[in-house]
Amino acid sequence: MRKIVLMSAFFLLLAAPFLMRSLAGSGPGSEAVIDAQTPRLVVITPHDQDIRNEFRWAFADWHLKKYGQAVELDFLVPGGTSDVRRQLETIYRTIRASHGGALPPEDQIESGIQVAWGGGDVFFDRELKPLGILRPLDLDAQQLAEIFPQPALAGANLYDRKSTPPHWVGVCLSSFGIVYNADVCEALGVPPPRTWDDLTDPRLVGAVALCDPTHSATATAMDMLILQRGMADAEAKFLDEPANRGKTAAEMEGSPAYQAALDAGWADGMGKLTRIACNARYVTNDSTRIPTDVALGDSAAGMAIDFYGRVTEETVGPRREQFVLPAGATAINPDPVAILYGTHGRMLDYANHFVEFLLSPEGQRLWILKVGQPGGPRRHALRRPPVRESVYADRSGWADDINYFAGNNGFKQRSEWVAMLPELRPIWAAAWVDDGDDLRAAYRKILAVSDPTRREELLTELAEPPITRAEVLEAGRERNSSDPSDLDRARQRLDWAKRFLSHFRQVADEASGD
Amino acid sequence: MAMASVSQPVVQTVRRSGGNVGHAISAALICPFFAVFLVWPIWEVVRVGFEQNGHPSAVYIRLIISDPQLMRGLFNAAAVAVTVMFSSLALALPLAVISVRFKFPGRDWLSPMLLAPLVLPPFVGAIGVRLLLGRFGPLTMLLGLGGGAGFDWIGRYRMLGIIVVEALHLYPVMLLNLQASLANIDPGLEQAAANLGAGRWRVFRKITLPLLRPGLFAGCTLTLIWSFTELGTPLIFDFNTITPVQIFWQITQVAANPLPYALVVMMLAGAGVLYLLGKVVLGGGAEASASKGIAGGDAARRLRGLPAFAATIFFVVVLILALLPHAAVILTSFSATGQWYRSVLPRQFTLNHYTAALLDDLAIPSVRNSVFYASSATILGVAVGLAAAVVIVRSRLRIRGFIDVLSMLPLAVPGLVLAFGYLAIGIMLKQKHPGLPNWLDVQERPALFLILAYAVRRLPYIVRAAAAGLQQTPRDLELAAENLGASHAKTLRKITFPLIAGNLIAGALLAFAFALLEVSDSLILAQKAAYFPITRAILELAQRMGDGLYIASALGVWAMLLLTLCLLAAGSMVGKRWGSVLNAE
Repeated sequence: MRKIVLMSAFFLLLAAPFLMRSLAGSGPGSEAVIDAQTPRLVVITPHDQDIRNEFRWAFADWHLKKYGQAVELDFLVPGGTSDVRRQLETIYRTIRASHGGALPPEDQIESGIQVAWGGGDVFFDRELKPLGILRPLDLDAQQLAEIFPQPALAGANLYDRKSTPPHWVGVCLSSFGIVYNADVCEALGVPPPRTWDDLTDPRLVGAVALCDPTHSATATAMDMLILQRGMADAEAKFLDEPANRGKTAAEMEGSPAYQAALDAGWADGMGKLTRIACNARYVTNDSTRIPTDVALGDSAAGMAIDFYGRVTEETVGPRREQFVLPAGATAINPDPVAILYGTHGRMLDYANHFVEFLLSPEGQRLWILKVGQPGGPRRHALRRPPVRESVYADRSGWADDINYFAGNNGFKQRSEWVAMLPELRPIWAAAWVDDGDDLRAAYRKILAVSDPTRREELLTELAEPPITRAEVLEAGRERNSSDPSDLDRARQRLDWAKRFLSHFRQVADEASGD
Repeated sequence: MAMASVSQPVVQTVRRSGGNVGHAISAALICPFFAVFLVWPIWEVVRVGFEQNGHPSAVYIRLIISDPQLMRGLFNAAAVAVTVMFSSLALALPLAVISVRFKFPGRDWLSPMLLAPLVLPPFVGAIGVRLLLGRFGPLTMLLGLGGGAGFDWIGRYRMLGIIVVEALHLYPVMLLNLQASLANIDPGLEQAAANLGAGRWRVFRKITLPLLRPGLFAGCTLTLIWSFTELGTPLIFDFNTITPVQIFWQITQVAANPLPYALVVMMLAGAGVLYLLGKVVLGGGAEASASKGIAGGDAARRLRGLPAFAATIFFVVVLILALLPHAAVILTSFSATGQWYRSVLPRQFTLNHYTAALLDDLAIPSVRNSVFYASSATILGVAVGLAAAVVIVRSRLRIRGFIDVLSMLPLAVPGLVLAFGYLAIGIMLKQKHPGLPNWLDVQERPALFLILAYAVRRLPYIVRAAAAGLQQTPRDLELAAENLGASHAKTLRKITFPLIAGNLIAGALLAFAFALLEVSDSLILAQKAAYFPITRAILELAQRMGDGLYIASALGVWAMLLLTLCLLAAGSMVGKRWGSVLNAE
């Protein structure tokens, strides 16, 4: 009897999803069901299920209507951006290895993947493009000018302007800000954080959620922004000095005093980042975790990408989560698409059609319209701002009434400063992840110092980076001149980690002695 | 030291040559299996950590040894592993002895429920633990600590939290092995000692414990190596200075870096040292000649009064602690979105998340895929694992020690490394041999790769369980059968298999459960929705903003229920033999 009951219960439970599906009727086609007869364009992406589904359905309809033929998007989802990079690198390394070290003509390649989509402009520009695996897009100057009347927004290029034709093109925008839980902030006695500076408040110790910049484009963008803000403030102050008034940064470039001001601004930005990292509850590899964590009250505040913050705010209410864009210190970046080297023949046509769709008014509006609006998503609003300025003219039916093209929302990023990024990311990871426990141990010891003046001195000392901007620039020059080996990079990261460790321990010892 | 050295046959057989040929054939099949499906994928990934300008180099190893943080990570991993092993043993040994040797109120349902931690999908468990230990989570609110800024359990007790959560998650692995070994001990030996005047403690120390050694060895080495290489729990507690997290962090960063692959090999070496230490301490002294306990026979003594009450309470307390993460996940799955905040229980309940989860496009195919992958992997694993165990325990081949170590290796290899290895090999096959059939195309149809990866990674459970069973099965019985004319194969089929059935079921059960809940391989190898297993579907749902946590919990609860019913139904199908493992009959 027991056997029959258990077996029946098991099979009933197993059948539950099948029964429920048959009762509910069939919805739009599932990405888990592959129609072998329909041509399939393989897209590798870190995008989530909602984005994949909505664009798969919409593209299939659009393609059938416009080209009279059905084409399915077939997604490969290996995980996050690092997994996408690893997989593409492995595929093209294997192809190179079997063709004497170089990529053969495109029609001799069968990589099995035609398009890479999503992951941020830094990922496409600094990780994928240098691998030599992106092919020029079929977009001429006239088309680009029409799609992107202003080719950059707040200093960030909206498409690959270093190559003609471009190798990648942005299809939607992301901005980055702060999420906070008003209940927890109130309990900790801190005002709601509205600027990056607010996250350095010692009362937030152990209550700030951060993401590792070596894993997340979101974290990279935000950290880079805070650093640039420090440099920009120092530059503005320098140029505002009576002796320098009326001169431009370009004119002062060769001035040692100007460079010293930038060094100080750089150290200030690094110090601010270190002070924020001191308050970290954790440094995660998953940027989606932070809004959830703040909404549950586990962290008082954290850094978040705009649509994550807004969706969570709407779900749990503004007391538990609010998303704010720090005034004058918000990064706005495009999220690109690219066609992979080796895509040829019919598949190249489909890949071009997909890019065309993403940049079309229909594809652009799909990112931001509410569910049920004509041309909008069928199941879930995606809440990502479109990249084409022209579609912002009519914002009726939008899930969020935002326009990053209007006003001065974003901080104008400086490409010459962003160029330090390859060196900065491992430095940040060394300081806040590898040595994170020691940093926070030193911080807690300092906070236990009873004399407020001494405490502030020690905090300032802790935040002073043991690495100078000149060293970072020198490392960048070496990278540009003699492409350092993996070993050089690994050794350098460990060396940086040792320097931070020694610095943190020294300050901790000083705090213990007080 | 080889495993077989602890199981010397008492009677020299006249037909040993037949066995030797069989063992040699088994070894000849097992070695290529390990070479192709274990060593090759690992080497394909880690070799970058041992090359410099195309030449072999140990420079990364030297870098690791000279780095204080990486060495501290290894020390922390070893400290956690040893503490978790002893904590699991402290929980599992009394549970095993009481459940096998005594009857007490509730034993029949409490004993199988102790295996509940096995049915919790890893990151669903993470959701549960994080919710439970939240700053304003149910534990904080229950203890009245929710005023002010709440209580940050995870931030304050990282190391302790890791040890407690791992011990509560891993004690079933120890328990299953100890129960199977205890069931194999002839109670007559203990009774004889007692009749000769030995007290209960002396009987346990001098008779039971030595005879229990195979199970102890299996349980201790599995928990030791598992906790040494465990990634999920330190990640829950955001503890970075521990080797598995250091490896994960550097492997998954966007920029390429060979150093973590050298660190993987350092970790494997560390796991090997721990295994050999375990073998030195526990691997010797098993008495293969001891007469076999009657599988399924219930010689348990009935407890009455206070001892019976104490036994029940002990089981209930362990069960409550072990089930807390499950309870948190279950409550989340029934909580209306956003309605479990600063309260002991959710404020509003709903069934909507179950509807959303089970109607999701990924639900049906993922269920079908998971059951197929896990069943196929278990069948393959039992075939290979049993053959390996026979060679390790019964053969006198020189290579048996090597096979023994290889069979434990998958436990120490990070799941991501093996998965990357399979992916790299699959891609290489596709690029170099474009004419290969579709089922060998890892991007197009990863099912075969997933089954192989699942089978290889779960092999240690089957090998250790089968080896423990063989060690406790008197060689005399097999020799007698062979002397009476039975072939080697027939002896295995008619004598050996039935006698170690309980152990095999225990091993297969662990392998199936962990295969069904496998994450790393599923994440890397199942890249198309059509091939997602349940765990990957849960992860997809968990990443959805807003209600993702709740819907993922609902599908997680459904998967837990399915696995529980599956295990119970399997138990009822195998009947008495199951009783030797769980004493639930």
